Amino acid sequence: MIYLDYGATSFHKPPAVYRAAEKAMRTCANPGRGGYGAAMEAARTVFDCRTAAAELFSCRPDQVVLTTSCTHGLNIAIRSLVRPGGRVVISGFEHNAVTRPLHALGADIRVAGRRLFDWDDTLEKFEKALKGADAAVFTHVSNVFGYILPVGEMAALCRQRGVPFILDAAQSAGTLPVDFSALGADFVAMPGHKGLLGLPGTGILLCGQKGEPLLYGGTGTQSIQQEMPEELPERLEAGTLNVPGYAALTQGLKYLKRVGTDAIFRQEQQSLQHCIRGLIQQGFRVFAGAHQAATVSFLTGQDCEEAAERLASRGIAVRAGLHCAPLAHESAGTLETGTVRVSLGFDTTSGQIDAFLRASAKLPPVR
Amino acid sequence: MRFYFITFRSVTYAQQGERLLKGSGFRCALQRTPRWMEEQGCGYALKIRAAEIEPATALLAQRQIPIRRVYLQSKDGQLEEVPT
Repeated sequence: MIYLDYGATSFHKPPAVYRAAEKAMRTCANPGRGGYGAAMEAARTVFDCRTAAAELFSCRPDQVVLTTSCTHGLNIAIRSLVRPGGRVVISGFEHNAVTRPLHALGADIRVAGRRLFDWDDTLEKFEKALKGADAAVFTHVSNVFGYILPVGEMAALCRQRGVPFILDAAQSAGTLPVDFSALGADFVAMPGHKGLLGLPGTGILLCGQKGEPLLYGGTGTQSIQQEMPEELPERLEAGTLNVPGYAALTQGLKYLKRVGTDAIFRQEQQSLQHCIRGLIQQGFRVFAGAHQAATVSFLTGQDCEEAAERLASRGIAVRAGLHCAPLAHESAGTLETGTVRVSLGFDTTSGQIDAFLRASAKLPPVR
Repeated sequence: MRFYFITFRSVTYAQQGERLLKGSGFRCALQRTPRWMEEQGCGYALKIRAAEIEPATALLAQRQIPIRRVYLQSKDGQLEEVPT
């Protein structure tokens, strides 16, 4: 199989990631729940993950809350900042992980900036919409189109206006710089199993404030007190943590630190441009532009799901449909059709793109 | 030898303290807090030699790692809280 669905998960991991998960399963008990060796080893393992994340994202280890997914982190963050009826500004490229929690809260949602790959439009509309806003939530990279939003400038606008904000780094963490200190974000959420090369069932929420718990329960400390602790990260981490998952994530983070996210980004960009050129030559409608991460959507002359099925029959793994982001498709005018999405990863090679293009050449061009 | 116990409100703070102190050349050990020391129930503490308590607490304060309480273990094994 040629795997080109890194936007869904990094199916391949560095070897140390697999080893760390197994080692933790054999050596770690419950972290923060005992003083014997295996419990302390678990606590050390979890703390190593916080430390590695803090180094990569420029924050303190106690600001690293370990979650089960990016969606989990976004739900904590949104529930912490948004009240029912509160006005929230979002970009036109948000995932359901952002829009559904806001919808469930009854937030007054203002969508700002809907033109793909257009930073001027994004910033102009975003700045206007911030007036009177209670909070902002925006993605770093569109999971459908790979559009890299100007998040540094958007963060600066939020800071200037005193609007608290959440960054969804689901598609950027691991390939683009995410500097928590420089952004001044209230929260940054990310999955462990995509660009950070860890396992499913893990995620990270970087916290600039203490936040409101989404789950209530045991934390291993201050057990008499019936309120959740005030201190991070325990305040937002009720229940037993996925120690093997975080042991693996630590190795993913260390791999990124060693190889460098810049190097991964450059390598992915070379393959991306090769892929885009090939798809355009084959007569497809390709969504490409400036400020694009290693994800590209395209349309053929065939239903997107059928096209992806035909590619799968030739050993190519891509994703089709709405990608859990109907808002992004609405912005791009593809809500009716969906798209076929190719998303590249840290180990994608030009040879794999060649093989993909040989398979996609069999698909009918747009009419 | 006399020891001090520095207690923390969270295991993460205790771990941050342990890494900081060990990285700065102090000798300390992370352990569960004796039950009577922790009125809120369950916690972690750093055990450290008496000679190192002042520079250790100063370093923790400098790096803004909050501590909860400090206890002195006397020669006869008794523990008493000391002001920080």
